[in-house]
Amino acid sequence: MTAPFLRLNGVTKRYRGHGGITDLSLEVLASESVVVVGPSGSGKTTLLRVIAGLERPDVGEIWLDGRIVAQPKRNTVPANERGIGFVFQDLALWPHLTVRGNLDFVAASAGIEKRSRLARIHDVLRLCRVEPQFVDRYPHQLSGGEQQRVALARALVGSPRLLLMDEPFSSLDPDLRVTLRGEVASLRQQLGITAIFVSHDAQDADALADRTITIQPPSEKGTRLGSRLGSSSFRP
Amino acid sequence: MWGLRSSRTLVILTAATVFVIACVLPPLYMLSAILHPGGGETALRDVLLDTRQQGLLYTTLLLGVGTSVLATLVGGALGLVLARIRLPFKAPLRIALVAPAVLPPYVIALAWSYVAGSIAFTVWGAIAVLTSALYPMSMLATEVALQQVDPRLEEAALLAAPPARVLRRITAPLAFPTVMSAALMVFVLAISDFSVPAVLRVRVFTTEVFSAFAALYDSGRAMILSLPLVILTTVVAAAAAIALGNRLVTTRRTGGGRPIDAFDSWRLAAAVAVCGAIGLMLIAPLITLVLEALRSPSVVPAISDSREAAVNSLVLALIGATVVTMLAAGLGYARAHTTARTGAAVDALWVVLFTVPSTVVGIGLIGMWNRPNALGLYGTRAMLVLAYVARFAPVAALAVAAIVRAVPRSHEQAAAVAGAGWLRTIAHIVLPQIRVGLLAVWVITFILAFGEVGTSILVAPPGESTLPIRVYTLTANAPPGYVAALALFQAFVILIPLTLLGLAFGRREAP
Repeated sequence: MTAPFLRLNGVTKRYRGHGGITDLSLEVLASESVVVVGPSGSGKTTLLRVIAGLERPDVGEIWLDGRIVAQPKRNTVPANERGIGFVFQDLALWPHLTVRGNLDFVAASAGIEKRSRLARIHDVLRLCRVEPQFVDRYPHQLSGGEQQRVALARALVGSPRLLLMDEPFSSLDPDLRVTLRGEVASLRQQLGITAIFVSHDAQDADALADRTITIQPPSEKGTRLGSRLGSSSFRP
Repeated sequence: MWGLRSSRTLVILTAATVFVIACVLPPLYMLSAILHPGGGETALRDVLLDTRQQGLLYTTLLLGVGTSVLATLVGGALGLVLARIRLPFKAPLRIALVAPAVLPPYVIALAWSYVAGSIAFTVWGAIAVLTSALYPMSMLATEVALQQVDPRLEEAALLAAPPARVLRRITAPLAFPTVMSAALMVFVLAISDFSVPAVLRVRVFTTEVFSAFAALYDSGRAMILSLPLVILTTVVAAAAAIALGNRLVTTRRTGGGRPIDAFDSWRLAAAVAVCGAIGLMLIAPLITLVLEALRSPSVVPAISDSREAAVNSLVLALIGATVVTMLAAGLGYARAHTTARTGAAVDALWVVLFTVPSTVVGIGLIGMWNRPNALGLYGTRAMLVLAYVARFAPVAALAVAAIVRAVPRSHEQAAAVAGAGWLRTIAHIVLPQIRVGLLAVWVITFILAFGEVGTSILVAPPGESTLPIRVYTLTANAPPGYVAALALFQAFVILIPLTLLGLAFGRREAP
């Protein structure tokens, strides 16, 4: 049996006694695409944040690629050493840097040499269908869809082992949402990257998921997960 | 919403009129007197070409730049600590870090002159003292700037880079405009300060203006000497205000979410820095004053001899703070409801007026009110209240504007739609939401007025004295212990309301 690429063992992360996730366990295989769906307050974003290392779990462990990265109250591997690409819900593009600057910061931090960095940036931008003329523009000079593509390119430029996307299409109009969803799905398949998407939209799950996980707000028994493969077989 | 003849118009017009008379006309009077035909240009040329004045300009600039750089480094680091690093007892620590800003700078100068001896009596000593008085401005500006940086932007960077690199490449550039504007303001306040160079006997423009006016009785020379200072402060303060833009009167966080904890690995260093700063900038000067006061048996006589000055100071500061707060309430409300462009111009005007050197304000007030048919105010204690209004109403109005802007406009609109008049809306809807902010403005103004010396010493009626004037005049001819006792008394009168205010706000602060 294949070892999971990502494993959460009984992870709890609460915010001053409420919200977050409770006693959550989850396994994700390498190259698998998982979509997490659930209502507001169910802990979807918290799940991504503890995986990324932006939060420390109160209880439980997180394993990434056979290595323990988080233990109770402690991140044993800091966020910047986990090899994770993250697309935030509000994109979080750095407003004082151009498109190139946004990608360059990540590429340089990932240790890509200066000589090959520009080529890498252009490759990723092309992959994400960002027009070359946008490279020297600032985020506020781009449309919503273009910003979304740049945010995706920034998440991919460091060649992450795991891609996390938090409600990536929620701020887009319906047409653009469909287009980008398709592009992201084909891009992920092309790269074969492990990915976890958080969404409240069932259509995102249909388009992007190898497996869909439903998540319910924490109860006394902890955070309840249900999962289904593809869009048909449901595995409670 | 409300018509031209409404009570709102009346209140705002009254406030604006008082503001123009008290705050705008004195510096304008100075400018017109300087540029008055009949020798103004010649005298100005003399000032600019005189090597002695060029030396003054050099020392003044050195004082401003040195203080600005040092205060920004110290304040920037502490602001980062307050904004990004979790420390226990942060609210009281913040009060202790801010306290040196409300202590009269000459009290700190006195303390360091006892410790450092002749080294304190140099421009470098003045830079060190002014840094300890002004770094809280940089600190608070940095803290506010960092709180307005969306934590997501830093989190996105932390996924790729370690905290130090994120700080350098992402956080610092985003906070830079606000921090830089604060640095400019510190520069202006440093070159405008009269009391520290006066106590430490460093010759700069403010002390020269004072000497020309009060010692040599040459008001023409005093006015001419003040011109380079006024130009410099006006240009730099206006640049700072323009660079800050709407942030001057914005109190809301632009970013959402919880603060990140990636910088927590620096907690030990941060705690050491905070404790070191409090020890050096607040506790050390106060202990020095205590030791100096206890060295001679002069604590009780010093305070009892100065009872009249102390009572004067308290009463006048109480009246001044009340008048300034009332005026600022009207002006700040009006500013909060203006368009962005008008608001920016008003902000720039207020910043510039706040930075007009105290000695220049004093001479302007005398020029305006020392004449027949001037309501007979000159030579009365009312001149001291006018001085407080002229010096502190602009900055108080800025603060009130920020407080009023935090009240959603829709609250007033809802009241208006429901049929409430403006006064009723203000009394029942707006005031209850801003009363704590107004109280804070009142307390801060009281503290500033209680320590004011540069303008007071010029406009105080003969035979009348306030505590700061008495401390300043005694530095030259009274035993150090006697002066230290008075300065200490003054410091404690200031620290008590500050502590109460800080504790009140600390309790309100979200955990």
